[in-house]
Amino acid sequence: MIYLHLFWEFFKIGLFSFGGGYATIPFLYHISQVYSWYSLDELTQMVAVASITPGPVGINVATYAGLKSAGILGSALATLAEMLPSLVLVIIVSKLLRKFSDNFYVKSLIQTLKPISCGLLTSVAIGLLKPELNDIKALILIGALLILSWKSKRDPLFYILISAIIGVMLVFIRTLA
Amino acid sequence: MEQKRLSLFKLFLIFTKIGAILLGGGYVILPIMASEFVDKRELVSHDEVIDYFALAQSLPGIIAANMSMFIGYKLRGKWGAITAMLGVTFIPFWCIVLLASVIGSLTENSYVQGALWGVGASVIALIVLTAREMWQKSNRDAFFYVIFVLTLLTLLIFKLSPIQTILLFSIIGVIYKKITEGKK
Repeated sequence: MIYLHLFWEFFKIGLFSFGGGYATIPFLYHISQVYSWYSLDELTQMVAVASITPGPVGINVATYAGLKSAGILGSALATLAEMLPSLVLVIIVSKLLRKFSDNFYVKSLIQTLKPISCGLLTSVAIGLLKPELNDIKALILIGALLILSWKSKRDPLFYILISAIIGVMLVFIRTLA
Repeated sequence: MEQKRLSLFKLFLIFTKIGAILLGGGYVILPIMASEFVDKRELVSHDEVIDYFALAQSLPGIIAANMSMFIGYKLRGKWGAITAMLGVTFIPFWCIVLLASVIGSLTENSYVQGALWGVGASVIALIVLTAREMWQKSNRDAFFYVIFVLTLLTLLIFKLSPIQTILLFSIIGVIYKKITEGKK
């Protein structure tokens, strides 16, 4: 029975949460109130863990919440249930776009999506940069990475790893001092 | 673009790798996708990645997962979408299931905090880079500039959510195109 509830609750999250990641937290809070699968303290812990492990936060939290609620089977169920609505929608939208690729409205929509996409990404970049403005070290690191990338293009993994190592080294130096 | 056919297993492996390096929030999926599928393998065009980014945000669910499924579908149809979904969550899933109890105590560790600080900075750099590349590779006519500026202002000043913004300007854009080009 718990599996059925678990599936239904996470299916709803997948269907009604837009923007992903932290947008799912209000739903998870609601679940913690209605069912006694996990406490509010555990939810905070879950979000912290989900943010530092690889993968999208919104999915990781579902996996963790499923694990807390009903073990490994619960975690698989919660993860899949959360992605199921978008899987169906992605397939339908892709099919429609392919089928009507010559349609005037579809073509116009695709042309319009490009500047919108650029605007969205620029706003994400600005949103992420804003809190970093107080952190001189972060700004220097970001600047250095940008200069490095303009000289030669590399795998994103390279930037992620090198930055993580620099972050660890800075902590190490601080503990020495 | 010539379509090279990728086996589902290979697709799964690529998405497993993408899932494993997906750190510091879902938006980093865009630079990773561009690197894997446009630059390295030339399976998807830069334009398509840009379209999927807006489409992924127009649908409910998790952006990074939606984007993976769009690319999966584009490459191998519905089984591709399912494979991408399973691949991108494979490593994250086992990380949580096997390591949750250990990782719980690590979130307070200062070295882990340091590493996360670095990852956060690299994600910002990657997103700035992708925005720049997107900008460079777009065909920028007057229509592009107007929609771009309006989208940005709506998001930053009027604080509309991405989904509301996408819907609003999609409708405006299509109506505008209908009025100006539909007559011809």
